[in-house]
Amino acid sequence: MSGVVKGLPGTWADTHRGTAQPGQPGMMDARDRVTGKVDYVINMTLPGMLHAMVLRSTAPAARIVRIDTEKARQVPGVVTVLTGRDIVSRTDVRSHFGPVFRDQPVLAVDRVRFVGEAVVAVAAVDRDAARAALDLVEVEYEELPPVFTFDEALAEDAALVHPEPPRAGATFADIIVHSQAGSNVCNSFTLRKGNIDEGFAQADHVFEDTFTCPAVQHVPLETHCTVADARTSDIVVHTTSQIPFMVRSQLAEVFNLPASRVRVVVHTLGGGYGGKCYPNTEPLTAMLSFVSGRPVKLHLTREEEFTAITRHAMRITLKTGLRADGKVIARKSTCHFNTGAYADIGPRLIKMGGIGTGGPMSIPHVWIDSYAVYTNLPPAGAYRGYGVSQAAWAYETQIEMIAQRLGRDPYELRKKNLLVNGETNATGEIMDDSHWHELLDEVAGKIGWTWPQVPQRIGNKVRAKGLSCIIKGTVTPSASTSMVKMNEDGSLNVMTSSVEMGQGLQTAMAILAAERLSMPVGKVLVSTPDTAFTPYDQQTSSSRSTHSMGMAVTRACGGIADQLLAQASEALEIAVADLELRDGKVQAKGAPDKSVGYAALVQRQKGGNLLATGEYITGGGLDPVTGQGKAAVHWHQAAGAAEVEVDLETGKVDVIAYEAAVYAGRVVNPVQAELQAEGNLAFGLGHALFEEMVYDNGQLQNGNLGDYMICSFEDMPERVGVSTLEEPVLNEIHGIGETGLPPVMPAIGNAVFHATGVRITDAPITAEKVLRGLRQLETARLAAAAVMAAAGTGTAR
Amino acid sequence: MPEPLRLFQPTSIEEAVAVLAELGDDAKVVAGATALTLLYRQRLIAPGALVSIGRIPGLKTIEVVDGELRLGALVSHREVELSPVVRGSIPVVADAFGKVANVRVRNAATVGGVMAESDYASDPPAVFVALDAVVDVQGSNGKRSIPASEFFVAFYETALEHDEIVIGVRVPVPPAGTGAVYHKFVTRSSEDRPCVGVAGVVRLHADGTVADLRVAVGAAAETPQRFRDTEALAIGKPLDADLIAQVADAYADQVDTLDDMRGSAWYRTEMVRVWVRRAIESAAAAPAR
Ligand SMILES: Cc1cc2nc3c(=O)[nH]c(=O)nc-3n(C[C@H](O)[C@H](O)[C@H](O)COP(=O)(O)OP(=O)(O)OC[C@H]3O[C@@H](n4cnc5c(N)ncnc54)[C@H](O)[C@@H]3O)c2cc1C
Repeated sequence: MSGVVKGLPGTWADTHRGTAQPGQPGMMDARDRVTGKVDYVINMTLPGMLHAMVLRSTAPAARIVRIDTEKARQVPGVVTVLTGRDIVSRTDVRSHFGPVFRDQPVLAVDRVRFVGEAVVAVAAVDRDAARAALDLVEVEYEELPPVFTFDEALAEDAALVHPEPPRAGATFADIIVHSQAGSNVCNSFTLRKGNIDEGFAQADHVFEDTFTCPAVQHVPLETHCTVADARTSDIVVHTTSQIPFMVRSQLAEVFNLPASRVRVVVHTLGGGYGGKCYPNTEPLTAMLSFVSGRPVKLHLTREEEFTAITRHAMRITLKTGLRADGKVIARKSTCHFNTGAYADIGPRLIKMGGIGTGGPMSIPHVWIDSYAVYTNLPPAGAYRGYGVSQAAWAYETQIEMIAQRLGRDPYELRKKNLLVNGETNATGEIMDDSHWHELLDEVAGKIGWTWPQVPQRIGNKVRAKGLSCIIKGTVTPSASTSMVKMNEDGSLNVMTSSVEMGQGLQTAMAILAAERLSMPVGKVLVSTPDTAFTPYDQQTSSSRSTHSMGMAVTRACGGIADQLLAQASEALEIAVADLELRDGKVQAKGAPDKSVGYAALVQRQKGGNLLATGEYITGGGLDPVTGQGKAAVHWHQAAGAAEVEVDLETGKVDVIAYEAAVYAGRVVNPVQAELQAEGNLAFGLGHALFEEMVYDNGQLQNGNLGDYMICSFEDMPERVGVSTLEEPVLNEIHGIGETGLPPVMPAIGNAVFHATGVRITDAPITAEKVLRGLRQLETARLAAAAVMAAAGTGTAR
Repeated sequence: MPEPLRLFQPTSIEEAVAVLAELGDDAKVVAGATALTLLYRQRLIAPGALVSIGRIPGLKTIEVVDGELRLGALVSHREVELSPVVRGSIPVVADAFGKVANVRVRNAATVGGVMAESDYASDPPAVFVALDAVVDVQGSNGKRSIPASEFFVAFYETALEHDEIVIGVRVPVPPAGTGAVYHKFVTRSSEDRPCVGVAGVVRLHADGTVADLRVAVGAAAETPQRFRDTEALAIGKPLDADLIAQVADAYADQVDTLDDMRGSAWYRTEMVRVWVRRAIESAAAAPAR
C-alpha cells in the first residue's frame, strides 16, 4: 500500500531448513520422550506414600447439610479422611486459596458451587482402599438455585455464587480488580480510548453483532498430578505446574510457612496449554500429607481433569463504526467470560480478552467493557490463546460480515485498517514493529486469495477460502531470572524455573546459551524447576519463555563470557577488546593460533566453576479506568488462511488447506517453531468445528475422551503451510506458542461463509448448524423468487 | 472393602459357559476389553467376576466355507480389516471394520465384542444386518444361530441369554455382480463413532432393473434399521434417481431417529435420507467382481 509507513520489513525464515545449526536437534529429548524414558510426576513414588481419591459434588449449587465419614474411616488401609470443615477448624492452616481471590476452598466448606467440586478426600495405602472408602461416605445436599448462563448469572435477582465477597490476595502487578459486591460479576475491565459517541457520530456505517464460544478443555495427555511430602516441618511438592513459584507462594500462605520452606519441584509436563498454571491439586495433596504425616499422591482421572479447569465460554457483542472509505473509527465491545465457580485467573484474562477485541487495527475511538462472571460451572482459567481466541473469533468474523454488507473485498477492508508503525492500538501504544500487512499478504498469497470468492463446485461439495489476522499481547510487567555455571571441563549448567512441557523450552534455552558462549549445544544442560535451587521465573505461559527466559539466560551467559575473557586476557596477555569467543575457546581476533579453551580458563580462575546470573524484567501497566498505558512489552502478530470443502447435503466442513504466518522476530529453532504452528492449527481446528463442553443442569455430559472430541491427525488439512517472519535488525524473539491459534477459528468460519453463504457466529461450526443455515438460505431464495415471480406477473398484467 | 474382582480364564467354550451359568449376572465376558474397561471405569457396571475368553482355542478363524464368510468371535477388527480372505470375498466387511475408531482400538476390539456390546453407534452391525449375517452363539442349552437382524434388541441389549457367548458370525457371500458399500458419516473428529452409518447392497439385472436391494442404517436409532417392505418395492424396477429417492425418503420416514451430541433427531433423519441415497448409488456403481 502506498503512503503507509511500514516498519522494517521482515524476512521469511526457512522453517524447513531442519535445524538451526548443523548437528542441532529439533528437540533434544525427543527420542527419550517417544521411547518412554522421560519421567513424569505420575511415575513417582516415595516410601510410605499414600494414594488420594476425592469425592466430588453431584450438585451444581447446594448447602452441605451433613457429611458422614464414619464408615469410610473404618476401611482397612485408610489413613486420612478429610472434609472442608476439618480444615476450617484447624488454626494452623488456611482453608482457601486462589491466585487473585482466595475464593477456592481446599475442600468445599458448607457449600458446593459446581458439579465436580472436591468435597471429601481420602488418603489410603492404595487406590482401591481409597475408592472403597469414598463409596461409604454419605453426603446430604440441600440444593440451591444454580446459575449457568450469563443471563441467569447477571439477572437482577440472581442467586449469588459467592454470597460473601471473596477475599483478595496480594495483588498482581497487572490486575485491576473491579469486583462488584452483591452480583455475580467477579471482575471487570474497562478501556476508554478517544470519544466513543463522537466516533459513532462520525461513522457512515455502524454494525452490531454478537458472537459466542463454548467452554472447551485443555485435554493434556498427562492429567494433573501432585506428590506432596509434609512429613517434616517443610513442605515438598512434586507437581504438574506451569508456574512453580505461584504454587510455592500459595502453599506458603495456606501453611503459614516462609516461602523458603516450601519446595516445589516440577518435572517435564505431558502438556499444559494453560491448564496447569494456577494451583489445583497441590493444596489438597499437601493438606492430606500434612494431616496424615505421610507422603501423598493425587493423580486426577481423565473424568476429573475435565472439570478441574476449562477455557472460558464467552459472549462478545461488537458495535463497529466505519467511514464510507472503509476505515474503522469506532468500536464498542461488551465481553462476558464465564469464569465458573472460582475466579482462578479469570480476573486477569478478561483484560487480555477485552483488549483483544480492539484487533490489529488503529481505531481512534474504542470502548471496552469486559466481565468475568461467576456461575455454577467448573472453573475456567488460562488456556492457550488467553481470551484472544475468543476475541478474534468475534472481530475477525465481524470484519468479514461488514465487508459482505458493504460489498467489499474482506482482504482489502483489512488492509485499509491493519496497524502500521506510528499508529496506536486499543491501549494507546504506539506501534514500532508492525508486520500485520506482511503476514496477511503472505497467507493470502500462499492460499491463493482472490476476490470475489467464487465457490468451486465439485459434485455435492463446494470449496472456498477465508482469511484472518490477529494481535495478542504477552503478560507485562514480567520477570525472569536465571543462573548459569560453567564447569571445570567447559560444559555449562543452566538453571531456570521455566517449565518444559513438550514445547521444547529446554532445547531453546540450550541453543541460546550455546550461541552466546559459542559452544556445542550438547555440552549444555538446562535444569527443570526446583524452587529451592533454581531462580525465579514468573510463569511458563503467555508465549513468553523463549523471549523472556531467553533474555535472562543470554544475559547470564554474558556474565560467564566476561569472566572467560578476563581470564584469557591475563593468560594470553591480550586486551579483552581484541579477544573473541569461538568454538569453546577464547582466541585473539584474527589470530586463531593464540587461544585458550574454556576448561583451562575455568581451572585458571580456581573457583571450581564460573557463576553468573541474568535477569529480564519488563515494566508496564494500564490506567485502571481508561485501560490506556502499556499492556505488552511487544505485540504478537499472526495471520491465517483456510481453504474448506463443505458438503452441501450434510453441512460437513473439511479443512483441506491451511496457511499460517507468524511473526517470530527471530527463530531460535525452526523445527520447533513449525511444530508450534501446527499444534495451534490442531487446537483451532477442533475449536472451530466440534470441540465443546456440553452441560445439562451443570452436569458435564461429555467429560471423557469417547464423548469429547479433539482434533485427530486425520482431521488435519492435507496441505499445511507455516511461514515464520524474522526481523534481523531488531532481532528480538517473539513468542509463538499461542500466536498462531487465534486466527484459525475465524479463518475457517470465513471460508465456510464464502463456500456456502452460511454465517455461523456461535462456535463450533457443526455440520448440523451449516445444514440448517443452507436450508434457511434455500427457503429465503425460494421466497424471494416467489415474490419476484408475483411481481413479474403483476407488471405483465 | 468390596470383594476383589475374580478373573476366570477358561480354555473351552463349555467351561466358559459353565462359569457364566453358575455366576449369573455377576459375571461378565471379556474379549478385547475396549468397551468393558470404559464401562467398568465409569462404574456403569460392577461385575464380581470377569470371564476372559481369550484362551479359548478355535475362535480366531477367518475362512470361507460353503459360500459363507466365517469370522470367529476373537478375531480383531484389525484382522478383519486386513484379511485377504475377507477382502477377497466380501470387501465391504473389511471396509466397515477398518472404519472403526483408530488402529489402537481396532487392534484390540473383537468381532464378538462389537456384536455383544450392541452399542447403537457401532459400525459393523449395520453391515451384518444388511448382508443377512447370522450370529452363532453357545450356552448351557447348546448352540443356536440368530439372524443379525434379530440379534440386536435395544440399547446395549442383545438376544443373548446371560450364559451364552458369541462364538462367531457367518456372512453369506453375495452372488457375483453384487455391489456392497458401507458409508460411515461422522460429524465431529474423524475418530468419532458414526452419526449415521449406512450399508447398502445392490445387484442389478442386465437390463438395469433391481435384482436385489438391501439397506441397513446404523447409529440412527437403538438398533440397526432395515425395512424389507421398502426394499421389496424396488425389486424389478429400473434403478433410477426417482426410485433411489423413494427408498431414501421411505427410510428417512421410518427410522425413529435419536438425538445425541453427534446430531439431533431432525438432522439424523436428513442424514438417513442423504446417506441411504448415496449408499445405493455407490453400491450400484461398484459391483464386486
Ligand atoms: C475410543 C473408542 C472408539 C470407538 N469407536 C468406534 C467406532 O467408531 N465404531 C464402532 O463400531 N465401534 C467403536 N468403538 C467400540 C469398539 O468397537 C468396541 O468397544 C469393541 O467392538 C468391543 O469389542 P471388545 O472385544 O473390546 O469387547 P469387550 O470390551 O471385551 O466386551 C464388550 C461387551 O461384549 C461382551 N462380550 C465380548 N465378547 C463376547 C462374546 N464373545 N460373547 C458374549 N459377550 C461378549 C462383554 O461382556 C461386554 O459386555 C470404539 C471404542 C473405543 C474405546
